[in-house]
Amino acid sequence: MSSSTLQRTASVSGMLAWRSLILVRRMPSVFIPSLVMPLFILVATSGAFHGISALPIGTGSYLAFTLPFATVMGGGFAGINAGMTLARDIEGGFVDRLISSPAPRLSLVAGPFTAAAMRSIFTTTVVLIAGTLGGIVPPGLTGTVAIYLLAAFFAMSTACWSMGVALRARTVQAAPLMQLVVFVLVFTSVAYAPRSLQTGWLRHVADWNPVTRILEASRAAEFETLSWGLLWPAIISIAILLGVLGVFALHGLAKLGKD
Amino acid sequence: MSPAVVQTLSLARRSVKGTFRFPQAWFPSLFFPLVLMAIFTASFGASAAHIPGFPKIDGFLSFAMTGAIVQGVLISGVGAGGFFAADIEGGFFDRLASSPASRSAILVSRLVAGMFLATCQAIFFMAIALIFGATIQGGVVGALIVIVLAGLLAIPIGGLGVLLALRTGSAEAVQGMFPLFFALMFFSSTFFPRETMTGWFQTVANLNPISHLVEGMRQQIIVGVDWRAAGVSLAIIIGLAVLTVGGSALNLRRRLEGNQ
Repeated sequence: MSSSTLQRTASVSGMLAWRSLILVRRMPSVFIPSLVMPLFILVATSGAFHGISALPIGTGSYLAFTLPFATVMGGGFAGINAGMTLARDIEGGFVDRLISSPAPRLSLVAGPFTAAAMRSIFTTTVVLIAGTLGGIVPPGLTGTVAIYLLAAFFAMSTACWSMGVALRARTVQAAPLMQLVVFVLVFTSVAYAPRSLQTGWLRHVADWNPVTRILEASRAAEFETLSWGLLWPAIISIAILLGVLGVFALHGLAKLGKD
Repeated sequence: MSPAVVQTLSLARRSVKGTFRFPQAWFPSLFFPLVLMAIFTASFGASAAHIPGFPKIDGFLSFAMTGAIVQGVLISGVGAGGFFAADIEGGFFDRLASSPASRSAILVSRLVAGMFLATCQAIFFMAIALIFGATIQGGVVGALIVIVLAGLLAIPIGGLGVLLALRTGSAEAVQGMFPLFFALMFFSSTFFPRETMTGWFQTVANLNPISHLVEGMRQQIIVGVDWRAAGVSLAIIIGLAVLTVGGSALNLRRRLEGNQ
């Protein structure tokens, strides 16, 4: 890719990301659930399963234990939003107009991909503020940055997944599929309990689930116990998710308009 | 059989068939409760006994079974409301209203279909839980009480779905109520006992009728046949049914009058 093409891709992607972000104001019904759900997870999960605080979960507060689950899930919702917005744009003809214009094709996914990461910054901020109001002592600068980055990278991964689905299904009716896979991926990790408490099939699934490493690193960042030993498995998990799901999205993009 | 009964059964059959025809109608109400039941059991099953205030149970799966059943009925209720709204959007409701069909059959058929589906669902969840090692302390009678209560619960939930459909006339708007139902369950003792909660959350769970409804059903599974607890669940179902079915009957009449 020449430098001028790269520049043009970055510029159009930036504009598309901005367009996706301002949709928040024009179509709040799309954005509000993705903001409310992480807050709901934080409040409802920590309240309903408060009794778990008495078990060895690495902290005496289940609210603190749940907070990274809420930030990562917030990233997941931001990613799902990217796919839903793209599906709507395909249905509405915006994507067709963009393809027939000289705008680089890659920007079609690069824009929502960037917007998902930016949206996750917003949801993470809201969840962190809610956690602080709930009595959690916020982590230091390094821990906070790590929580933001982990949620943002997860948002980018789920954006690739949901855009891949949108580019194949080409309808917003595919939204439940986008959501379902993200839900199952997160719920079968260490979302509700640490691996030391899990038993049977879930323990095996959680061991192999890349979200487990992301959540464990995010939790360690919150408790200020993040070490390289916890960070590198999270980085590898993110790289695997981004690599596999990125190829899935790009393959869908390549097929768009060719059949 | 009177024409009204024939029409009710015929419309109920249509509703049940419609649900089975579209996977998006029945899949979520089976998938989500089963997955959550499996995840919670594998997450908390080994250690729940060590949580102060947690009742003595013979396996977490037995405890989680009722939550799955009630969750399934709630999700089905939203789905049924969505389908009723789709009938309004698609014009089927107007065609039915302009036909000589019994007015009560329009509403009652939905509730009958909901009861049938909820009963099947409850039997299915129970069978899955039993296969994976759950036990029912109340035996066959306890199991029957839970199944009957689940079937009856479909009346107020289905009534609420129909009410929302009549008020909004939009399937999307009814489906949009799903998070509210989900919140109602989480802010109750559906998934975990109230005794392990604290503060304002426990107060909300205490006030939430879903808590008492679920506990009355759960009692039959984790303790044994308890008619008093079953009576509490039944009273809550009747109370909710009066509100939601009454409200939907009123709205149905208004909509039909508007059509004339």
